Amino acid sequence: MMLLRRVPRGHAAAGLVFVLLAIYPVFYPYATYYQTVLLQAFLLSLQAVSWNIVSGYAGYVSLGHSAYLGLGSYTTAILALHWGVNPLLVAPLGGVTAVVIALALGVIVLRTRGHAFVIITIALLLAMQIVATNWRSLTKGSDGITLELPTWSRDIQNVPFYYAFLLLLALTVLFSAWIRRTKFGAGLVAIREDEGKASAIGVNTTRYKVLAYVASTFFIGVAGGVYAYFLTFLNPVGAFSILASVMIVLAALAGGRGTLYGPAVGGFIVSIGGEVATVHGGSSSRVLIFGVALTLVVLFMPSGLLPTVEGWWRRRHAETTEYTDQAGALAAGAVTAPGRAAAPALAQALLEPTGVESAEPVLLDVRKVSKRFGGLVAVDGADLTVRRGSITALIGPNGSGKTTLFNLVTGAMRADSGEVWLDGRRIDTMAPWQRGHLGLARTFQTTRLFKSMTVQQNLVAPLPDSGWRRMLASAVSGSEADRARELLDFVGLGRFAHRPAGSLSYGQQKLVELAQVLMLEPRIVLLDEPAGGVNPSLVGRLGDIVRDLNRQGVTFLVVEHNIPMVLELCDPVVVFSRGSSIAEGPPDRIREDPLVLDAYLGDEWRPPGAEVAAGPDAVTGTSVEVTPGRSAAGPPAERGSS
Amino acid sequence: MTELLQALILGLLIGGVYALMASGLSLIFGVMNIINVAQGAFLILVAMFTWWLWKSTGVDPILASVVTTPLMFGFGWVLYRTVISRIRGSSTSMSVLLTFGLALTIEGALNVTAGNKFRSATPSYFEESYHLGSISLPKPQVYGFVAAVLVLSALYVVLAHTWAGRAIRASAQNPSGAALVGVGATSTAALAFALGTSTAGVGGSVLSVLYPFFPASHYDWISRLLGIIVLGGMGSLPGALAGALVLGLAETLTATYWSLRWSTLVFYLVILVVLLFRPQGIFGTRLREDVVA
Amino acid sequence: MALSSPSRSARGQSRRPDRRVGAFAARAVTTMAVAGLLLAGCAQDKPSSSGSGKGPITIGISLPLTGDFSQPGGEAKRGYEVWRDTVNSSGGLLGHQVKLKIVDDASSQDTVVSDYTKLITQDKVDLLLGTFSSLLNYPASAVAEKNGMAFVEPAGGAPDMFTRGFKYLFFAQPATAPHQADVFVDWVRSLPASQRPKTAAYPTQDDPFARPVIESMQQQLEALGVKTVYTSVYPADTTNFQTIASALKNKKPDIVAQGAVFEDGVGLVRSMKQLGFSPKVLFQTSAPSNAGQYSSGIGAANTEGVFYTVSWDQQAKTPQNPQFVAKYKSLFNGDDPAEDAADAFAAAQVLQTAAEKVGSFDQNKIRDYLHANAVTTILGPLKWDDKGQPQGQFILAQWQSGKVQVVAPASAATSQKVVYPKPGWH
Repeated sequence: MMLLRRVPRGHAAAGLVFVLLAIYPVFYPYATYYQTVLLQAFLLSLQAVSWNIVSGYAGYVSLGHSAYLGLGSYTTAILALHWGVNPLLVAPLGGVTAVVIALALGVIVLRTRGHAFVIITIALLLAMQIVATNWRSLTKGSDGITLELPTWSRDIQNVPFYYAFLLLLALTVLFSAWIRRTKFGAGLVAIREDEGKASAIGVNTTRYKVLAYVASTFFIGVAGGVYAYFLTFLNPVGAFSILASVMIVLAALAGGRGTLYGPAVGGFIVSIGGEVATVHGGSSSRVLIFGVALTLVVLFMPSGLLPTVEGWWRRRHAETTEYTDQAGALAAGAVTAPGRAAAPALAQALLEPTGVESAEPVLLDVRKVSKRFGGLVAVDGADLTVRRGSITALIGPNGSGKTTLFNLVTGAMRADSGEVWLDGRRIDTMAPWQRGHLGLARTFQTTRLFKSMTVQQNLVAPLPDSGWRRMLASAVSGSEADRARELLDFVGLGRFAHRPAGSLSYGQQKLVELAQVLMLEPRIVLLDEPAGGVNPSLVGRLGDIVRDLNRQGVTFLVVEHNIPMVLELCDPVVVFSRGSSIAEGPPDRIREDPLVLDAYLGDEWRPPGAEVAAGPDAVTGTSVEVTPGRSAAGPPAERGSS
Repeated sequence: MTELLQALILGLLIGGVYALMASGLSLIFGVMNIINVAQGAFLILVAMFTWWLWKSTGVDPILASVVTTPLMFGFGWVLYRTVISRIRGSSTSMSVLLTFGLALTIEGALNVTAGNKFRSATPSYFEESYHLGSISLPKPQVYGFVAAVLVLSALYVVLAHTWAGRAIRASAQNPSGAALVGVGATSTAALAFALGTSTAGVGGSVLSVLYPFFPASHYDWISRLLGIIVLGGMGSLPGALAGALVLGLAETLTATYWSLRWSTLVFYLVILVVLLFRPQGIFGTRLREDVVA
Repeated sequence: MALSSPSRSARGQSRRPDRRVGAFAARAVTTMAVAGLLLAGCAQDKPSSSGSGKGPITIGISLPLTGDFSQPGGEAKRGYEVWRDTVNSSGGLLGHQVKLKIVDDASSQDTVVSDYTKLITQDKVDLLLGTFSSLLNYPASAVAEKNGMAFVEPAGGAPDMFTRGFKYLFFAQPATAPHQADVFVDWVRSLPASQRPKTAAYPTQDDPFARPVIESMQQQLEALGVKTVYTSVYPADTTNFQTIASALKNKKPDIVAQGAVFEDGVGLVRSMKQLGFSPKVLFQTSAPSNAGQYSSGIGAANTEGVFYTVSWDQQAKTPQNPQFVAKYKSLFNGDDPAEDAADAFAAAQVLQTAAEKVGSFDQNKIRDYLHANAVTTILGPLKWDDKGQPQGQFILAQWQSGKVQVVAPASAATSQKVVYPKPGWH
């Protein structure tokens, strides 16, 4: 409900600006200069808002975004000349060209994580310049293309352009706002926050990123077409100018990267500020000013003007807060209990009917899987079966390869050899999100929530199937949001829905992460040390929730060092040592198995971090990191129990 | 045949210089995950300084790197300590934006102080060549190549055989592990950043003789250098070397057999094709965060 | 609005932060918008200055004083200022003192549009003068055309400039790019057949001014029977001329005619020297006209015999030219004026003559006058066709003994000697 109330408020302010800007030329039709200044501000704003979709929401910075303005300009100019039509009529085709190029480039560059993208975007601009300069038969090369002057009366001059850009700006903002409200938008922010985690909760990160990149170019391409007509001339150097890209980046950053209106506000500030500087003669060092401004913004106002001012406003007008006492809030949550009342309904909503209560068929089957890191064999021909409906435990000393096995099963890593089957389907060549869509979910040893997103946003980000409909469904209202609320209530944290996930206690975060993966409608959940580092009072609660879910048909595979919890909760128990399982059976038998004792206490048992303590040479030899963060951040609970 | 040989040798000589310039960028990325977009601006800054030194004192521009390299080392150190370290822990994209801002600042400052015109240092030998049969080896290119090989070798020795170098490599491969054995993260990062910028000292001095430059030339250079390290594999020094040679050869061969106009584009196309089949680049391992989830 | 700020790390714990943010945004936005409207309203009320009475008149100019074209832009500014001082010291224009309103467009097409829009519609200047380079003059001239203001440009001879059917556009140089090498071709034609060069190579930068010069020269020389052995169009950012030079060395053409802007001209000479190839004739478009920089770039001794064509020469005996040179030197610490400054001065002369002849600042009368009449300038007489293209000829200059001499046309020549063939490199 809060979300619903919030959106009209924000839009109301923006709508007011839009109306004022829309009626301005009616009252001052001959203020050509001011109209020109404003329409250039609209142009920069709409570029910054578009840029924000890929670089703000998804966090993939493009330093050459003005290339799409140039592409749109060229497309429109060439087609208008060729067909002999008014450029405004073919301007949308400029957007189409932009989309096609962005799609091709995105598919190549955005398949992996990492930084090829930003680099290619710089190269893109220069490459476009080269193409436009040298493909003479199409672009007239460096001579450039000239268009006819506008056909309308001289008296109204730029008014049509003014409205065209204003309309495009409004559409771009609405488009960006719509994306922000969908699960797609939540997924983009998730990618920015933690891409590996996003792919583990069913987010097809490649599709998301490519789509975001493509979405960020369409309106710029259309605007490019209009702009070509406005200038009546375009040439490679002007159309693919680096400074234009710099202004986009600066505008979005100054206004507030990742926010909806920040980039638009930034566009006005940078564009009008630049014009004021020109008029008042201070422009002899324009590049220097932009450079210093960009540097200062990154260093001192990295979140941008709008968020900074909002924060300041809120501090000055602070309301008394309703939740100040975490312990109290926690207790309130605990009393609501593991959602027993909600559970039956939930079970129906969540789960495919398995109908099988006994642990007969094999759900997850790991066959002879191996993974090597340099010289170290982390997982060595491991076999593991998890039966449907079971809560299977996987225990073993640190470094025995449990987490690596999780990574292989969920697709965070590829195995060197061996196969992984889920419910009769081979999944080891699938992307992590495909496995998620088949009902495979996991939590992480150290929770990996999207800390700056709210708890609610964390819950709507997961995607249980690969359908476009679900991906573009609303994230703030409707069935997805309702499900998120149900699940939060189920884990007892419904009242924290609108708090940033990072502000919750560690144990609460573990519960939220569990609720998050439940959004995937999982058939099997891999829990990586669910009790590690968690307040003991929450451990029991966690066990209750797991049992509850299991009763509803969810299968679990649990890595845990809290042996009492394991023995109480799980059956069967699998013991892992040196990369493969050495024993399997019911908890009682495992407790007495000499092999297990040996595995825990034998010579291969090393304290955490032992492998890195040998000196610099040992470190530089090969890159060894089987369980990330283990050496630095082992929760005390795990050490005590082992 | 002579034409081909000539093109290959020129490509090799140019590639060597590219490798020198790209190595610093690759080192900084490998250790700190910072894409130093300002590296191109550093090159131009040094080239401008070298030009000024040569113009006012007559010092040989390539020899001037004896002065510019330690200067850039110091500059890099101070810059890291005062500016770059402030965004430690932020995302890589913040580092891109920050160094982009620095690049523009340097360009703007050069614009204001030195003016927006092309310069190039022309020592006495700049128009002379060595001749090997029918092949000519332009002296500046040869000297630049020699300087590049010397610096790259020195860099290799520093990284492989000194404690500081091992500390840098350790940080690159396993930051938390390195921290455990007493490698101070901040001072190692500052050291690596300073080393990376110091290669711009030699690179910029060589550039001042080989290529005319002006303040905005840095875009050109940075996109080439970034292309090189993307092609070779980000953070990999052998990759930077390979990428640089590919660029040098692509440029001279395209220019010889097709048209100079397309040579840079051919290079970018090579990058895209390589990325299509090998997203991590020629020598790149998949990024750490790609592997460990 | 608050919905859209995921990157904020810690949202306050207030239950309804959104409403207050919305309220804040609404207030801020309203204030801004109202302020904007007021500002615009004030601007609307600004009285327009007009040419009537004997107060000063204003000429609006936008120039690239910073950015890529800042060098020629700065020279053009000096040229305009020399003209202003000249006019004002001799009683002004039609009795009005002249004020120049020069704004910087930072070499940006966006800015040049808003600059000229502001000059015309906001500042209501009486006359306009053009900016530098075709790239900026294309959009700038469109603004002038839309507003019906005569636009005399000192630079911007790209052929496409004049295919748009503009009525108010005039190019104040003797010839557009395709005709700038005519005078060189005439010189080749004047040689006895036995001495004429037989082969030629045409490397050119892909530049809107340099390339048409070279392409047109190639056509004309081929018609004279000079065989083309090599052509190449290289991009503006080319820094390495080894490959072109080695190709030239293989082909050994008699003429090397290069469309060189500046640094590429220096680069190719260096590379040819490195490879030990020196053609009999070296022609470069504009690089050699940058006197001091050119000779220091390639070495003074190597300039001997290099040809180029140019719109203006310091020694030319055209009316007012000596006064222009003297005034320029006295204003700018004894510097020699550059061609760009002279072109700007000439553009202003064109506008001045037209205004004086029609006796007013009526834009349509000025336009009609320039379409119908020739105007005397320091570049020589200029006249235009109905598209604003000039109908004159450039001058052919050659470096001789470390100095620039005009060798053709005969009327403007400062030296009767032509260095041919060019000596080898030093």
